[in-house]
Amino acid sequence: MSWTWFHRLGSPPHIYRLAEQLTPWFAWPAAALILAALYGGLVLAPPDYQQGDGFRIIYVHAPAAWMSLMVYTTMAVAAAVALIWRMKVAHAVAASCAPIGASFTVAALVTGSLWGEPMWGTWWEWDPRLTSELILLFLYLGYMGLRGAIEDPQRADRTSAVLAVVGIVNVPIIHYSVTWWNSLHQAPSVMRLGKPQLSMPMLWPLLMMLLGFTLFFVAVLLVRLRGEILVRERSASWIREVVET
Amino acid sequence: MREFLAMGGYAAFLWPSYAVTLGVAILNVVWARRSLARAVAAARLRLAAGGADS
Repeated sequence: MSWTWFHRLGSPPHIYRLAEQLTPWFAWPAAALILAALYGGLVLAPPDYQQGDGFRIIYVHAPAAWMSLMVYTTMAVAAAVALIWRMKVAHAVAASCAPIGASFTVAALVTGSLWGEPMWGTWWEWDPRLTSELILLFLYLGYMGLRGAIEDPQRADRTSAVLAVVGIVNVPIIHYSVTWWNSLHQAPSVMRLGKPQLSMPMLWPLLMMLLGFTLFFVAVLLVRLRGEILVRERSASWIREVVET
Repeated sequence: MREFLAMGGYAAFLWPSYAVTLGVAILNVVWARRSLARAVAAARLRLAAGGADS
């Protein structure tokens, strides 16, 4: 088998141009899916028999929580690839993930709080799910703080990558926290074995939201990645071509 | 319309949660574009200063 695809994957100019070309192909479908899902979730889906219209918070809370975990997983995998194969572009991917993931973790915590108050009667509880999600935010912030604190970019890449990889243990803890321990938080309604617990008119806007936000993440990641590549490729002649057009 | 906005009495919780999530999404677009623009500007400055080995 030829390994050229792998080398092309690690080639900064190739990735830079590919990222530029692919961005609209993720951004526009993401926008269309999220808009359609907003209509489906706020207008078409019927009220829940227990939570009434309050359940509609799921259409923003679940995507935000999904982003917080999926982005972290992407970051940790990229960091591991970068450490194992010494691939500079993978470090750039990991670095691009952190601010995206951190911001959606904040959104997950805030929307969770806004959902918790009317349903559980509390904004915050030191519950396994909530606490482990808060730890996820600290992992993101720690990762970004570490990068900012180390001046040498290569050392910053390597040290922060180790933190990202170690922190991955928190991801399954968050996901299974509601099954392993007694939690206020409800069990998964989509990401579970067997059939999802939501009825079709409630389910499809949620699935569209999850897909829409995933595509959105890729689009934002691709834009950030180009910046991170430029910062790392200080002296390459191809940079002249891409910045002077 | 008023009934829609009232969200069965959950308006005070529902609309802020939508605003926060969509606000975070929009901020991500703004931040990403800004960080790319900054990197491009820095690269141009380096090239103008003759720092690149091209």
